[in-house]
Amino acid sequence: MSKSLVAQLPTGPAEPAQRVPTDWTTGAMQGRIRRRYAAERRFRLMGLAAVTLSAGFLAFLLATMLWQGIGGFTETRVTVPVDLGAAKLAVTPAQLDGRGADLALAGAGLEGIVDTSASRAYGKDGDNLLSGGAWLTVREAIKADPSLLTRRATFDLPVASPIDVAYKGKGAPEAEAMVARLTPRGVLSRSLNTGFLDSADSTDPTRVGIWGAFKGSLLTMLVTLLLAFPIGVLSALYLEEYAPRNRWTDIIEVSINNLAAVPSIIFGLLGLAVFLGTFGLPRSAPIVGGLTLALMTMPVIVIAGRNAIKAVPPSIRDAALGVGASPIQVVFHHVLPLALPGILTGTIIGMARALGETAPLLLIGMRAFIAAPPRGLTDPATVLPVQIFLWSDQVDRGFVEKTSAAIIALLVFLLAMNGLAIYLRNRFETRW
Amino acid sequence: MPATALLFILVGLSLIGWLTARARAARFKVAGQRFSSLPGHFGWYVALWTIVPPLIFLAIWSTVAPALVTDAVLSTPAAAQLPPPGFDRAAILSEARELGAGRAYGAFHGLARLLAPAYAAAQDRYDWIATAAALLLAFAGGAFAWTRSKPGFAARTRVERIVMGALLAASLIAILTTIGIVLSLVWEAGRFFQVVPVHEFLFGTHWSPQVIDARDPGASLGAVPLFWGTFFIGAVIAMIVAIPFGLMSAIYLTQYAAPRTRRWMKPILEVLAGVPTVVYGYFAALTVAPAVRDLAVAMGISWASSESALAAGLVMGVMIIPFVSSMADDSLAAVPSSMRDGSLAMGATSSETIRKVMLPAALPGVVGGVLLAISRAVGETMIVVMAASGVATLTLNPFASTTTVTRQIVDLLTGEAEFDSPKTLAAFALGLTLFVVTLLLNIVALTVVKKYREAYE
Amino acid sequence: MSNTPPKMTASHVTVHYGTKRAIDDVSIDIDQDEVVAFIGPSGCGKSTFLRTLNRMNDTVASARVEGDIRLDGHDIYAPDMDVVQLRARVGMVFQKPNPFPKSIYENVAYGPRIHGLAQSKSDMDGIVERSLTRAGLWAEVKDRLSDSGTALSGGQQQRLCIARAIAVDPEVILMDEPCSALDPIATAKIEELIHELRGRYAIAIVTHNMQQAARVSQRTAFFHLGTLVEFGRTSDIFTNPRQERTKDYITGRYG
Repeated sequence: MSKSLVAQLPTGPAEPAQRVPTDWTTGAMQGRIRRRYAAERRFRLMGLAAVTLSAGFLAFLLATMLWQGIGGFTETRVTVPVDLGAAKLAVTPAQLDGRGADLALAGAGLEGIVDTSASRAYGKDGDNLLSGGAWLTVREAIKADPSLLTRRATFDLPVASPIDVAYKGKGAPEAEAMVARLTPRGVLSRSLNTGFLDSADSTDPTRVGIWGAFKGSLLTMLVTLLLAFPIGVLSALYLEEYAPRNRWTDIIEVSINNLAAVPSIIFGLLGLAVFLGTFGLPRSAPIVGGLTLALMTMPVIVIAGRNAIKAVPPSIRDAALGVGASPIQVVFHHVLPLALPGILTGTIIGMARALGETAPLLLIGMRAFIAAPPRGLTDPATVLPVQIFLWSDQVDRGFVEKTSAAIIALLVFLLAMNGLAIYLRNRFETRW
Repeated sequence: MPATALLFILVGLSLIGWLTARARAARFKVAGQRFSSLPGHFGWYVALWTIVPPLIFLAIWSTVAPALVTDAVLSTPAAAQLPPPGFDRAAILSEARELGAGRAYGAFHGLARLLAPAYAAAQDRYDWIATAAALLLAFAGGAFAWTRSKPGFAARTRVERIVMGALLAASLIAILTTIGIVLSLVWEAGRFFQVVPVHEFLFGTHWSPQVIDARDPGASLGAVPLFWGTFFIGAVIAMIVAIPFGLMSAIYLTQYAAPRTRRWMKPILEVLAGVPTVVYGYFAALTVAPAVRDLAVAMGISWASSESALAAGLVMGVMIIPFVSSMADDSLAAVPSSMRDGSLAMGATSSETIRKVMLPAALPGVVGGVLLAISRAVGETMIVVMAASGVATLTLNPFASTTTVTRQIVDLLTGEAEFDSPKTLAAFALGLTLFVVTLLLNIVALTVVKKYREAYE
Repeated sequence: MSNTPPKMTASHVTVHYGTKRAIDDVSIDIDQDEVVAFIGPSGCGKSTFLRTLNRMNDTVASARVEGDIRLDGHDIYAPDMDVVQLRARVGMVFQKPNPFPKSIYENVAYGPRIHGLAQSKSDMDGIVERSLTRAGLWAEVKDRLSDSGTALSGGQQQRLCIARAIAVDPEVILMDEPCSALDPIATAKIEELIHELRGRYAIAIVTHNMQQAARVSQRTAFFHLGTLVEFGRTSDIFTNPRQERTKDYITGRYG
């Protein structure tokens, strides 16, 4: 061993002759260590606090929505005796069969009779008590049982929005007074609001439902999925498996990475200018919403897809190529099936994001008042998040719980989708 | 429905082509020699030749057909009564089109009712032409492929070439989208800048699009208050919330939490990121904004706005927490564990290791993540639409009302103004600004993050 | 060997990772002024054992250490033992050079700073210079102390890590294959350095290089499959092993 390798060995200027070990037992040293541990505990506590507060915020948000919105799934009903026999509606039993029944009952003045019955039972403003759609409940009952027309019967009818609000919590003073007057008589009750799940938008908060917006969401998502999934998967395959390393490929990659980070509202501007402006597609239609969201979702699927494809080990490709498969066969027979769970996870997450998206759809006109569920891809429609936005803008207090209830419905869907994605990820997570 | 029917016919034809060609190719095998292509490849070859040409034709046709139909309608005598080109003319024509297609039942303009039959007739005629041409192409393509399908024909290579083309085409859509965004923004913004000079828009400090002076629209379209509001809410207030919480959460979850806690907490944070922005917006408007206002009033600021920058910024910050947290998580994970061990082996406590070794080492990644988070906050729309104000004020006070670029885009475009007014065009100019800023932020952030990753690979 | 009590003693140490037993009943002592080498095939547990000596295994959640390890007669796994102090007294140098992404000066000053060993700036300058000098790096870096530690060559980085470990004035230095990532010349320098450090610090070095063990150590421990096969004077182990397994390994029959 040559000494020359280490040119300068211990010849430091202040080299003490004998090593004096650090004395850790002095008070100063011990105090210092105590302070350091205290700092450690503080830091750790700060971390815990950050996590807890973040999770706490989520819990608070969910609790607020739940607390405010759960009432939206119920409605208040009031018991009203209606003497249909005495009213002598000009309706023949034959008219109650088939499609003409609704028209016949409306024409015979059923609505007026119901209002009058309410006034008779609960005073002169008794008809203000009922929801505008209350008589429809009576109509359906008559259609189910025509014998009601000849006798006196009591019905549980939905109340008007102010009464509903007052009964569930804190309402306007007059409504509070009315509720205070009726409650001791035991005529008010709560029941499940099935109309909320199967009807569309309305100006009367007691008659609104999410089905219209939900169907709009479904149609929009269908278009998005049909476009974004194949295009996204094919792009991912191309970029990961075949693309030559050149400038064009770089441009494609940069485009995709940037599209994934472009604010969603920009896609709304694109949809407005191109799909509505240039191509003249109909406003407010699910097809335009779907197209716009597809452009937004596609980069997410491409990025997730590329990661999933990248995770497939090269040895599998080599094995397939080794038995004489063509590059296309290698990819479609081996790589794609193995990467599919990862791609699906990314797709579900992308679709969940699209389902919750609001801003771009506002710009392409999906904020219209839509009282009937859309029947096709070109019908005017709205989607669930936009419906939430529209209701949140309403002054009527009855809409507050409806907005929260719609949020609950939306969150249930998103949670289910995210849960499915997490399940898929854990279920198929493969360690090669 | 004819479009759907046509599509079904084409798919049917293609399926027939697939089945027959495959069955025929199966008989090629009898010769006993090996081919490079399986019968299925012949099937696909014929099927693709049957369906792809008519589909390409229909796609091109659908872009030119409306113009052809309109031309045909304009050449009818009734069209002579149309007003000169302008908003009315466009409105009448579009009403007539809706009537003719049977999508509308009443018309506001009488003339539209007159033109509707012409529309229906022209549409009908061109539909028939399109259907005939598409079917013809399908048969021609199928026949061509059929005659070429012989034993020894390399059907597989042909099919694979088509598949490869489809793959390439799919990945070009991303470029097309980018070009579409840039062109539409630049085009509409360009029209805006013909009316309002660029410098007035970029440097003007007065924004009130509700009252635009027709002689000098630029005077009330100065976007500086919007830029400030966007920056104030998205890059200042939101980040004051998001950075400490996100960073500390990431540190706690990666460095301190037991694996089991981490397994639970990470999805919870992901859920926080998955909540739609409209929900955050509603929450901000309904719960946070009144609370912030009450707080301000209690502090003696009686004029505090119920649409304050603080409420929107706070909620936006919470929304960004998971994003910052996951970026910081990635950056910390990329720091080699040998650094951590090196520091711990010197007798450093965990917090000293994290603060003095891990964080400085992860800093570029964290900074990149924060830039991406700012870009996201700046482009966020629903929270500010629902919780921030529509009034543009240049203020430093977080309790005052402030508006943002995205909020104004929505306000400008959901009003009842016609499409070509300076008001709607201003939205595109704002959109272009937003696009450029977020693009730059993303590019810088991604470069920083990439450099950082490479440093430890 | 001297008559003073050993600096560190480990008796009947067993380590589990989860349910897997990595070390089984190992007893070793390290004297004040000697270099002890741990040799053995990869995966034999020699690094794991080294890491129990300054409780670096605490950072592995699934690791469980049984047995008795003492530093100057104090049980280092006792509840009253402060791991921060322990690691300052028992320094460690890792397999791969791991300088912090800071300047050379800050790398060395890091330990004294966190432990509060310097009273003033000039005090710190002195510690940094002394440590770098002892690590044989001073002459090479004295003009660029503010350069990043990661900009040095591999061998220089490793000597920087040794300087960093020396700076807190430890009593024992653990070296986990300190030369495995280095070229022969850098390796020779490190070996030279170990030679010079002996007497000032008790040193335990893990190596897979038997020549290196023979060159730098006074005593050698041979590990195999988590057990200590043989422990004795280096000269005895290499020239006259008592165990058949040791002989097979040293003559290159396996490993």
